[in-house]
Amino acid sequence: MKVPVRWLKELVPTELSAREIAERLTLAGLEVEAITEIGSTWDNIYVGVVERIEPHPNADRLVLATVDAGAHRLTVVTGAPNIAPGQKVALALPGATLYDGHSVEPKLITLKPSTIRGVRSEGMVCSEKELGLSDEHEGIMVLHADAPVGVPLREYLGDQVLELEITPNLVHAFSVVGVARELGALIGQRVRYPERAPLSVGGQEGLVTIEAPDLCYRFVGVVIESVTVGPSPWWMQQRLQAAGMRPINNVVDITNYVMLEWGQPQHAFDRDRLREGRIVVRRARPGETLETLDGVRRELDPDTLVIADAERPVGIAGVMGGLESEITDETRTVLLETANFEMRSIRRTARAQRLRTEASARFERGLDPNLAWEGATRAVALFRQLIPGCHVTAVIDIYPNPRLPRQLCMPRREIPRLLGVDFSDEAVLDVLDRLEFQPELRQEDGQKLIVVQVPTYRSDVAIAADLVEEVARIIGYHELPEMLPLGRTVPVEISPELRLVQAVQDTLVAAGLSEVITYPMVDEAALRALLPGAATFPDSYGFYPRPERELVRALNPIRPEWAIMRPSLLPSLLRNAAENLKFNRAVAIFETGKVYLPRGLDELPDERRTLGCLLAGARHLRDLYHEERPVDYFDLKGVLEALLPRIGMPDPRFRPLAHPSLHPGRAAEVLVKGQPVGLLGEVHPAVVEAFEIDPDIRVVFAEIDLQRLLELGLEPPRLRPISRYQPIDQDFAVVVDEATPAAEVADAIMAGAGALAVSVRLFDIYRGPAIPAGKKSLAFRVTFSAPDRPLSDEELARLRERIEGHLRRRVKGELRR
Amino acid sequence: MSGAVEQIRQQALAELEQASTTAALAEWHGRYLGRRGELTQLMRRISQVPPEERPAYGQAVNALKEELTARFEQREAVVKRRELSQRLTAEAVDVTLPGRPADVGGLHPVTQMIREVTTIFNHLGFQTVEGPEVEYGYYAFDALNIPQDHPARDVWDTIFIVSDQQEIVLRPHTSPMQIRTMERRQPPVRVVVPGRCYRFEAVDATHEWHFHQIEGLAVDEQITMADLKGTLAEFARQLFGHERKVRFRCDYFPFVEPGVDFAIDCMFCRGEGCRVCKGTGWIEILGAGMVHPQVLRNVGYDPERYTGWAFGMGVERLVMLKYGVPDIRLFYQGDLRFLAQFNRALA
Repeated sequence: MKVPVRWLKELVPTELSAREIAERLTLAGLEVEAITEIGSTWDNIYVGVVERIEPHPNADRLVLATVDAGAHRLTVVTGAPNIAPGQKVALALPGATLYDGHSVEPKLITLKPSTIRGVRSEGMVCSEKELGLSDEHEGIMVLHADAPVGVPLREYLGDQVLELEITPNLVHAFSVVGVARELGALIGQRVRYPERAPLSVGGQEGLVTIEAPDLCYRFVGVVIESVTVGPSPWWMQQRLQAAGMRPINNVVDITNYVMLEWGQPQHAFDRDRLREGRIVVRRARPGETLETLDGVRRELDPDTLVIADAERPVGIAGVMGGLESEITDETRTVLLETANFEMRSIRRTARAQRLRTEASARFERGLDPNLAWEGATRAVALFRQLIPGCHVTAVIDIYPNPRLPRQLCMPRREIPRLLGVDFSDEAVLDVLDRLEFQPELRQEDGQKLIVVQVPTYRSDVAIAADLVEEVARIIGYHELPEMLPLGRTVPVEISPELRLVQAVQDTLVAAGLSEVITYPMVDEAALRALLPGAATFPDSYGFYPRPERELVRALNPIRPEWAIMRPSLLPSLLRNAAENLKFNRAVAIFETGKVYLPRGLDELPDERRTLGCLLAGARHLRDLYHEERPVDYFDLKGVLEALLPRIGMPDPRFRPLAHPSLHPGRAAEVLVKGQPVGLLGEVHPAVVEAFEIDPDIRVVFAEIDLQRLLELGLEPPRLRPISRYQPIDQDFAVVVDEATPAAEVADAIMAGAGALAVSVRLFDIYRGPAIPAGKKSLAFRVTFSAPDRPLSDEELARLRERIEGHLRRRVKGELRR
Repeated sequence: MSGAVEQIRQQALAELEQASTTAALAEWHGRYLGRRGELTQLMRRISQVPPEERPAYGQAVNALKEELTARFEQREAVVKRRELSQRLTAEAVDVTLPGRPADVGGLHPVTQMIREVTTIFNHLGFQTVEGPEVEYGYYAFDALNIPQDHPARDVWDTIFIVSDQQEIVLRPHTSPMQIRTMERRQPPVRVVVPGRCYRFEAVDATHEWHFHQIEGLAVDEQITMADLKGTLAEFARQLFGHERKVRFRCDYFPFVEPGVDFAIDCMFCRGEGCRVCKGTGWIEILGAGMVHPQVLRNVGYDPERYTGWAFGMGVERLVMLKYGVPDIRLFYQGDLRFLAQFNRALA
């Protein structure tokens, strides 16, 4: 909301600057977002009076005007059709900065003396457009007759405009009067309210009927006859424009002026265009439409409250009037509506019609119905002032349930109880008095009470806490000390899930991966790209099986690509990798985000904390020590083998896996304690390509269900005794079938060695002439150690024999000699 | 025979002078002092010496052995020292060559900030808890005193999953966890809640539809707004520097009353007024207030007995302020060239 400072100071005279006012209001809850200046460019422009007009010797359409501005007296050449002797005008001297009157875009120019058709023009009389006040450039701007000649225009007309953010609770401050009340309370001054006309109810029966009293709490109808429609006076237009509204005509301008001043929207109908000259407030009937003032024909659903005449709607209540009954130059009789409507209904209608107006913004915040009377009486005063000869012939006020000031009782101790600091009784009562709350201090049952009468326009003050806020914000929060909470201590325990996530993050960072946070939403295209070329969705998304229910989907996504809550981190990380590969040869990323798996209807989805890791492109950039090579399955497997034991998941297992999105020969299920907890594999080249990555680039992905790890239970470290004796290394070269998994061979060795094998490490794989075709030789180095004795040669020989036996039985393996 | 001893001596010492490598020395040692070396030979020949000369002969050979051993050790020390010195000289490298890279990744700046902020509050006695991102409308709005069809709802432009009677939304703030936490426990309550939030909002340099908030809540007997101010001041000073000044200004959030906006003095211009603080000298970093009595009633707490306060802040904004990040969109574009700039263990 825009509030011109001159208007505000008229109601609360003060020496404070606009900036100081803004700061006081902001701290008290009326945030001033900006202060704009009207006339900030007006150097070398003065109020002048036109002394004399003479014809231009060489041009019929131009005249020479002599303008006196006190210290300056100039002759200017002008083509303004409306210039006349005796007028007060804005006279620009050479050097003045003006807006170019002929430019469509705002463009500043510096005025220089010039010669027009052979006559020298020493300055310029300005139009509104040239002063930056409006787009009006037909004629010069004529100032009020009592404008002081010789005074700089900025002093006379310049203004500052406060732009306030009106939070939803601030309906009482949604007007110049409202802001004036706030400012008055803050600086301890009473508001000088503008003049209103005394009115008494009477006149035509049946002028207004309310058929929907649940949606219309009050309707003040005023009939004004002998109205002459014309432009409103310049001062009113100025204020409307400064507040951001366009002047229309005197009648409409009065209603808008009253709305800006008091916060009460009004609507003026041309009564002669109302069927039977009367108003019915009702819900719209099926099929009814209305062409509103903005020229749009609108369909009205039966929830819409309308202002109708005897036959049809003529306005959408509280939102916008109809085109057909609008005020025109021919209007003679005005029916002025000043009403109060139910806030939720107005809000629903404005949203449904996508039509948010100055009026609806005020009504939907819940206006005080008593304000309608103030609005109507203020409007009548302005009609009388602006349109001499008009007269009120009827005043109707339908207000079945008048709202009365609310009495609020608050224990005096509530202030220190909430704030942690107390103020003197005098200070508290003074603040509440400045707010016009009529405070009293009472003693009841040994308890001090503060009793106030909350004005009806303060619908936001309903409970004790509201009253405490009034005291605090007017006195100022700078009075509040900085303390730390007293009282009982709550044990601070960090949940296992958070601890797990941090451990995962820290380990992966140390392993060289960078954390990313991606949008957790994807689209169908991304899910389909997980199984390119197929007509259906894949039967699993990453680690997670495709849910039977529809995935979690936004009804109003920001963009279609962010419509579905992801069922896997795979598409998110592939998208991220595709972007990063444009600028990086090596990508190593992870995310500890969530996947969102649907549950029952009306149930919240299962949000599973999940780890996704992705390596793509090169594993090491080429440098002095490394050749560059593409990432592969084993790079990421190594990361998982480092990670899982560190987070209490010793001995993870990897089992070959067929997965629609992964390389058929390079994918594995990850098992912990025999249970699947995730997957790992090279991403299928077709999937890589579907995510717009060069299919020759290797991409490896792993997904681990962290929630599942927590469910399985993290293993605490189990201590083994440290041996004092030298460990002994022995090598075993095992010849097995090509198809035998290496892990099974290692398991056989471990089983044979029992507790004496400290580690079994595969260090070479040999295929070649030294062994039969279709076989491979796996070379393991086994470290043996006993906690309590040195291992003897005999013992080692026995171990070797047992290992050999296990190899033969379990994997048909033979030791190479 | 003593002539032979002297001859060996001369010969051995001359050869020792010539031996300039450890290998040559070892060979020399074998030749003279080894088991079958010259000195052993000399000693064996004692039988050929007349008996009366034998003691003198034996002494001479022993004396020679001692002498040669001592000379050998001297010579060996010299040679070894020289050899080591040569090796070290030969092994010199260009110490300015790059090291073998130890790849270390980094945490996302939002994760780092969440850790930093929650740690500050953990140490002030607040427990970290988390809640669902997909949330019932009841928790996101109604229980927080934000009724349907109320203009207050406009503050939270919401992405909906289900818009029926039983609304389900992407939580537009972390405040639903106030309700969930209080439903689950009795006072005293002190929690801090980090998490993702979503708004139906056009994306620009300062607005994201997907962002993170940290919520805080303290409820007990005797919890006051002065505590709120002191707690937030402590937090802001730990995060933004101990010289920070703090300010409350009145603001409106339906679930608190009184409600305030919490600001720190601008660290860029020290309160003089600049572009970051829009000339005001103050930077607002979070909204806060005393928990609304209706909210306490909604979870079955007695507002006559208990008071509480809550606050909520945007994590990205804190990172932007602390590290001068100019555009919020950088956080979720996921560009490693941006993220790598936060690869550090100490902020």
